[in-house]
Amino acid sequence: MPILSIRKEGGSVSNLESTSALHGFATPGRYGKRDGEAGVTASERKNLGLATVVARKGQEAALKTAIQGAYGADLPDGSRSAVGKGVRFIGIGPGQWFAVSESLANEALADELATKLQGIASVADHSSGRAVMRIEGPAARDVLAKGLMIDLDPRVFVDGAAATSTLSHMGVLLWRDGNAYDVALFRSVGGSFWGWLRDSGAAFGLEFVTTS
Amino acid sequence: MRINCPYCGARGLEEFTYRGDATVKRPESIEESARDAWVDYVYLRDNPAGLHKELWHHGAGCHSWLEVTRNTVTHEITAVELAAKGR
Ligand SMILES: [Zn+2]
Repeated sequence: MPILSIRKEGGSVSNLESTSALHGFATPGRYGKRDGEAGVTASERKNLGLATVVARKGQEAALKTAIQGAYGADLPDGSRSAVGKGVRFIGIGPGQWFAVSESLANEALADELATKLQGIASVADHSSGRAVMRIEGPAARDVLAKGLMIDLDPRVFVDGAAATSTLSHMGVLLWRDGNAYDVALFRSVGGSFWGWLRDSGAAFGLEFVTTS
Repeated sequence: MRINCPYCGARGLEEFTYRGDATVKRPESIEESARDAWVDYVYLRDNPAGLHKELWHHGAGCHSWLEVTRNTVTHEITAVELAAKGR
């Protein structure tokens, strides 16, 4: 059971160690092709702050102004990201964004956004519901192409580009961060995702590492 | 078949769900006198050969409801708009 925090009347106890979404399924190591450098490297970005931000009716302009003021990011009108101070905002639908942060870990991101956006946006914490897997390496695109129906050619899927789609029938949000691809998936499909990744990466050599 | 979602771009049919004729309008009245209008609204649909305005839901993508203009003979899609346009 992934338990990130126990909430108690207004306060929260968040010192519990979060459990990997792949705990019990995947162990770090090399999978598939053994010789040469690994074609693809996968790791879990743990303890990220994850939250959805949905503009209240008629408040989209006010929300954009508030995000610009607080984080220096222009909320995008499409499926791509805007990186502001400590927070990446990804368009997931008209008037809706998915926020990702390292510095505002776990539920701290949703807590801060909810406070700053009171009355103009609805904020929901997703940090205990989603896992973010980082896929990188020279064969990253070839591996992802086995499950995604998205054109990942770098001329089209540029740095910061994002897509809400399905990966081997699992609903995912994918975005590009430099040369790495981050895949946010529901924690409950962690085992299925691992099965897909292990088999799809085998031909290229898959190195699975964990992050602290 | 692909649908060019105004938000997500071109995506395969399997990401969408067909949600019927986009032109039917719910009757204002709930009085007995509006019975025929309700039967029309709930049950009766035209089956045109040619252009058809229909609703599609992008359930595996941005979750938008789309109004798609499709030729039922050729499957050619000539327009896709967000159903929430102007709201
Ligand atoms: Zn869409």
